[in-house]
Amino acid sequence: MDTLVNVAHGFGVALLPINLLYCFIGVFIGTLVGVLPGIGPISAMSLLLPVTLSGTPESGIIMMAGIYYGSMYGGSTTSILVNIPGEAASVVTCIDGHQMAKQGRAGPALGIAAFGSFVAGTFALVALMLVAPKLASIAIAFGPAEYFSLMVLGLVVLTFLTQGSMPKALLMACIGVVLGLVGLDSITAQPRLTFGRMELIDGIGLVPVVMGLFGVAEVLLNTEQAIKRDIINTKITHLLPNKEDWKVSAGPVGRGTILGFFLGILPGGGAVVASFASYALEKRLSKTPERFGHGAIEGVAGPESANNAAAGGAFIPLMTLGIPPNVVMALLLGAFVIHGLQPGPLLITQNPGLFWGIVASMYIGNVMLLILNLPMIGMWVQLLKLPYNILFPLIILFTILGVYCSSNNVFDVYVMIAFGIIGYFMRKLGYEPAPLVLAFVLGPMMENNLRKSLILSQGDLWTFVQRPISGVCLAFALALLIAPLLPSLRKKRELVALDEGA
Amino acid sequence: MTNPTNVKLRLSNSELWGGLIGLALGGFVIWSGLKLKLGTINDPGSGYVLFYTGILMCVFAGAIIISAVTEGGPTLASRWENVRWSKPLLLIACLTAFAFALEPLGFLLSSIPLMLLLLRLIDPVRWTLAVPIAVLVPSGMWWVLKRLLLIQLPSGLFGIG
Repeated sequence: MDTLVNVAHGFGVALLPINLLYCFIGVFIGTLVGVLPGIGPISAMSLLLPVTLSGTPESGIIMMAGIYYGSMYGGSTTSILVNIPGEAASVVTCIDGHQMAKQGRAGPALGIAAFGSFVAGTFALVALMLVAPKLASIAIAFGPAEYFSLMVLGLVVLTFLTQGSMPKALLMACIGVVLGLVGLDSITAQPRLTFGRMELIDGIGLVPVVMGLFGVAEVLLNTEQAIKRDIINTKITHLLPNKEDWKVSAGPVGRGTILGFFLGILPGGGAVVASFASYALEKRLSKTPERFGHGAIEGVAGPESANNAAAGGAFIPLMTLGIPPNVVMALLLGAFVIHGLQPGPLLITQNPGLFWGIVASMYIGNVMLLILNLPMIGMWVQLLKLPYNILFPLIILFTILGVYCSSNNVFDVYVMIAFGIIGYFMRKLGYEPAPLVLAFVLGPMMENNLRKSLILSQGDLWTFVQRPISGVCLAFALALLIAPLLPSLRKKRELVALDEGA
Repeated sequence: MTNPTNVKLRLSNSELWGGLIGLALGGFVIWSGLKLKLGTINDPGSGYVLFYTGILMCVFAGAIIISAVTEGGPTLASRWENVRWSKPLLLIACLTAFAFALEPLGFLLSSIPLMLLLLRLIDPVRWTLAVPIAVLVPSGMWWVLKRLLLIQLPSGLFGIG
């Protein structure tokens, strides 16, 4: 009953005209960046992070969340029609989605992707509503040791799932922690790694770092190659899948939804892992696995449902524990912090309007997305023809303006350009920026919780092992660190390794 | 005995250089941590986490170096093979020049040439389209930010913008 009252309260917030507008802007931009290859939700959210400053916390966060789950919808359009993933979570949709399009079944492929996404998105929201308050009440009992260990686990999972060698990803995570510690020490107020620059006293800003590593670096990488597009030119008809399609897809949608939701909750997991896991699961369960790769609709329905359910599930650790499970959620945490809010166990009780408003807006956003992605599909197809030689300079200009407006400080523009160049060379040498950004956000929290635990336990390191939740998290983290040393597990890791930045 | 030619090839790989940079950074972080004081385990100081993170960085960088030397890796040049490497290089040059010009020239005088260069350098947009975009987009953004949102953009020594 309480939940229903809360949901009604949430709809009261989400249906305010200004919040509806921000929700629409969010899902529209999300679909847009999902459709455009080369620009992912991370770049778009980092670009728009400064915009959240101008409105209320509800509006800003509703928009940012909309970009995330909106991009999951939009990504499938490009995968199916162009065979280029619009964003990383849609990589696997290319395999069967584009084959379906080539066979003249682009409509049902797009249709099942949108309906599957809608079902999964709605399920994830209901689960979020039911799970989050309960988990928040448990999380109140978490001490600094639990928080520290959970963050360590989150970072290790992300490094485990990142493309390339694990030492490289771990090195990136360490660099992220160090960058996050620049500025005044929160306990002793001693300046650290500021090199005498006043601008660094408050630390390095999240916005310039992320915009540099994901926005500028992405453009630099994309300019290396002329992007060739093989757009399916036939008119897209019959968006509604037929009875047979529904029959075949019902199972994959259901399984993808549940699998995606749970993988989304896990620290370090997210939409990309979920889509790959769902594809592998469907192929394994299928009586005719040979159809996969040649236009099997299950290969679209499962992964597309999974990535949307994971996008919803990922909100749980952020909202209840204050721990972002992936880079996108780290950016959302940034938006909370910009507004002086701290997500965590007390968020739901102290700011019920904000929490339930965001949840309710996601329902509305899912309906908006269904309309944006089915009847208006033609518009997105036209957009795929936008020339990149005009788009890229505009992105650069917007990143510069976005960074400057977030702090009114030219120094941040320099930081962004520097991180853009560093990010480009990092990517060229096979170093992924995602662990760096997550560690950059988690670094100060990790340090704080580590030092608090050590002070509270009077320097007893066993406190991290003796406390059950903390011990389990560290055991999992250790297992994942050791796993790549075993050849069979190393192979499995390579199979699911992902490029979060796309 | 190891063939000296092979060793030379292994030592020239990009993985090795990545690892060495990581090692140098790790060393610097350890030194910074020590300088900031480690404190004790009962009461960790400002440099405590930095110091141990630096050690971890050195360990991971060491693993990268060992793997680079034993297993080899692509050379730096091969990382830029079959790509238009001059395009990002030009873009980096433009962005660096822009960073230096932004404060003295102001937003408008620095961003219009930047846009024009980007539009002509990446995949050349024809002049008749590039010039209006390069002038109108930054000017439009400047107008929206300055007049509507009252955000002061850098106006430079000439006070333009």
